[in-house]
Amino acid sequence: MPDLGRAAIVTSFLLLAYALAAGSFAAWRGRRRLAESAQNALIAAFGATAVAAAVLLAALARHDFSFQYVADHTSRELPLGYTLTAFWGGQEGSLLLWLLVLSGYSVAAVLTARRVGREVLAWVVPTLGLVGTFFAVLLVFVASPFATQVAPADGAGLNPSLQNPYMAVHPPMLYLGYVGLTIPFAFAMGALLSGRTDERWIVATRRWTLAAWAFLGVGQLLGAHWAYVEIGWGGYYAWDPVENAALMPWLAATAFLHSVMIQEKRGMLKVWNVLLVVLAFCLSLFGTFLTRSGIIQSIHSFTQSSIGPWFLGFICLITGGSLALVLLRLPLLRAKTRLESLVSREATFLYNNLLLVALSLTILWGVVYPLLSEAVTGEAATVSKPYYNFFLHSFGLPLLLLMGIGPLVAWRRASLRALGRTFVWPLSAALAAGVALLAAGAGSSRIGVIAYTFSVFVLASIVLEFARGTSARRALGGVGWPGAFSSLVARNRRRYGGYVVHAAIVLLAIGVAGSSSYQTVREGRLHPGDSLTVAGNRLVFRGFETRTESNHRAIRANVDVYRGGEYLGRYRPGKNEYFAEDQVSNEVSIRHDLLTGGDLFLIADQVNADGSVDLKALQKPLVNLIWIAGLVFVGGSLIALWPDAREERRLAERYERAAVRI
Amino acid sequence: MARRGSPARLIVALSVAAVLAVFLLYTSIAGGGTPSLQPSQLPGHHGRVSLVGIVVGKPTGDAHAGGLHFLLRDRHAMASVPVVYTGSVPDLFKTGREVVVDGKLRKGVFVAVPNTLVTKCPSKYAPKK
Amino acid sequence: MSVALVVGVLVAIGSVVLVAAPFLREPAPTDDRLLRPGEAEQRRLAVAEERDRALAALKELEFDHRTGKVSDDDYRELVGALRQRAAETLRAGG
Repeated sequence: MPDLGRAAIVTSFLLLAYALAAGSFAAWRGRRRLAESAQNALIAAFGATAVAAAVLLAALARHDFSFQYVADHTSRELPLGYTLTAFWGGQEGSLLLWLLVLSGYSVAAVLTARRVGREVLAWVVPTLGLVGTFFAVLLVFVASPFATQVAPADGAGLNPSLQNPYMAVHPPMLYLGYVGLTIPFAFAMGALLSGRTDERWIVATRRWTLAAWAFLGVGQLLGAHWAYVEIGWGGYYAWDPVENAALMPWLAATAFLHSVMIQEKRGMLKVWNVLLVVLAFCLSLFGTFLTRSGIIQSIHSFTQSSIGPWFLGFICLITGGSLALVLLRLPLLRAKTRLESLVSREATFLYNNLLLVALSLTILWGVVYPLLSEAVTGEAATVSKPYYNFFLHSFGLPLLLLMGIGPLVAWRRASLRALGRTFVWPLSAALAAGVALLAAGAGSSRIGVIAYTFSVFVLASIVLEFARGTSARRALGGVGWPGAFSSLVARNRRRYGGYVVHAAIVLLAIGVAGSSSYQTVREGRLHPGDSLTVAGNRLVFRGFETRTESNHRAIRANVDVYRGGEYLGRYRPGKNEYFAEDQVSNEVSIRHDLLTGGDLFLIADQVNADGSVDLKALQKPLVNLIWIAGLVFVGGSLIALWPDAREERRLAERYERAAVRI
Repeated sequence: MARRGSPARLIVALSVAAVLAVFLLYTSIAGGGTPSLQPSQLPGHHGRVSLVGIVVGKPTGDAHAGGLHFLLRDRHAMASVPVVYTGSVPDLFKTGREVVVDGKLRKGVFVAVPNTLVTKCPSKYAPKK
Repeated sequence: MSVALVVGVLVAIGSVVLVAAPFLREPAPTDDRLLRPGEAEQRRLAVAEERDRALAALKELEFDHRTGKVSDDDYRELVGALRQRAAETLRAGG
């Protein structure tokens, strides 16, 4: 069986290398059959990779410990679900997952890219082949999942902190995002290499980019939720390099999603768009590199391995190659249209782009700072929360504001008088909210008040957009309000789906502001009968309870929660002690307040021999808005992604009418 | 009426300048990060640093009452320093694990800033002892 | 492991067949050139894109005017130029 796996991976490598070599030659010399052959090689590579993946999956399911990978990451008593998700629990398996997703995406994108033109596709194939070959080389020569050994009696087991449902969804979501960014990158390179400057590549990859971006966003929220409920330190994001590794490409991809709209509407920013997609893809590769090479200190550090230099080399190759290509094609890409006004939607998109890229780059700076400072001064220096928070506020708050301003401003040139009229309602709502917040005592955090006021402004402007649009549509067609609303959204899914996503981001901002700027933390050592008060909640410790399970011992502190005399319930924070792994895990207890959206977060920091507990309690207002925002985000993305028959017809007419047919 | 220079270039230039200004403002005020050192590199550093090392010996004391005392050793050398820490102790903390903690060296003892102790996840699998 | 062998052989044969298929289907093609769209076709595409852009901008302007984002004066100023642009592109054969 391992032989089949190895053979499948080698086959995949050969096919991808063929796609790269033959594809490049075919595109360069204009050989149709060879180009088709290279494209077929991509398809065959997906098949071979799928076989390799199936071999590993089967070995995991069978507990075949002759596979080193299976022995290292599972054990006999591990439940089947976690045994299967161990597929991506380690270095080699996760690389195989990368290749599987990449080849799957490649096949799907290439087969459905009817409109992009044969000559562009001929260059897309070898670009995808290049990226695929890189991962295949790693899998064949550096980190093979099919290394064998004399089968031990039992495997090493999975780290208990990874034994939860999040392990099943968080990594695959992130991968669907990371890898998905390869598609717009490949099409951008295809367009450049074939000398095309029109927007076909953008139209062809729009949905892929949006989907990858959505997956990456959801993956990060899942990771944050995992950290919140399982690791349980009371927070959801620690600016750890591995967390930042996913945030950076997501920010660049967000900028890209916006700036392509400008290219579509006005034909501008062609160079900027290509640079952005290269940045997003390189950050995605860099993120993969960060989480694997152990090069940056992180609490998530995977094993230190030899894979780092390979990744670094590949990233340099991609960056250098793409930049050279852009420089080469620069004359072709120069736009003829000019930005007409500093007060126009194009301009707000430009500001938004600059802020997003600036935030992404300052995070990058923070992540690599230890390496750079060590190289320059001989001493590594790290930056932490204060650094990141400063830039999150400096760039993030203006971005929040722009989300409200952008939709209210017209394309090309907005009249200042019209602006005044359209801004009146959202501005008044924001001011009213600001005053109310200050009166309610929210002035304890300046950033919090600013974030809340901006959020109200944006939400008001979004509601206004929907309202004005629906009323205009109703006036046109004589339909009722519901009909007008659905027709409005259906005719412009990207825009209104986008507004829903903006609303999700605003909810996220409110949730983050509330749970960080306005949280209350109290801690203390409690003996049975003692109590602790946090934000009006009285917590009374009643004593410990111990329970022995099959693989761990559970110790729980019984805490009764009262508020104003009313009994709210018994909550049990504690610890689990795992026998086999000799490890303790933190089990927090969270009380969700359905009315206010806040959480009462209880951590049993330390279980003491004398029967007392060191309890830490946090009251986090509005934190559940973050998770709700995730759902709204998915909804908005789906609306934006939904196929539009009318638009498809128009695009078909534009591109396929006189399409070259062989 | 076509404009000769594009305002786009102006916006970009001004914005980049603004971003750089914000960045430089911060770094000049807040300084350039916290040095990340191993125990052997500690002597001579008097400000707040980030200490990285491996826990050796048996930790004593109580982090929530009086302080947890443990010894941190270089990753690849024998130099070690005693640390006293108060605050939350991560679950993964134990002898042999690599940890990071902020604090200052005072009279030969590293006094930690409360709640800054972070333990690195061991490699992704739990090796059988 | 005979299953493994069978699967392996199938993968190998399948890959070879897929890669060779274009050549096997057309051993002696009349035209093996990967056609690039000619100058005329590229121009047509560019004009089609311009046309769509102009028409969309016009529609957008009307909508923005109706929802109050563009004042009457600005609307009057812009709509003429846009209509002319759209008409030009339609004439150019989009």
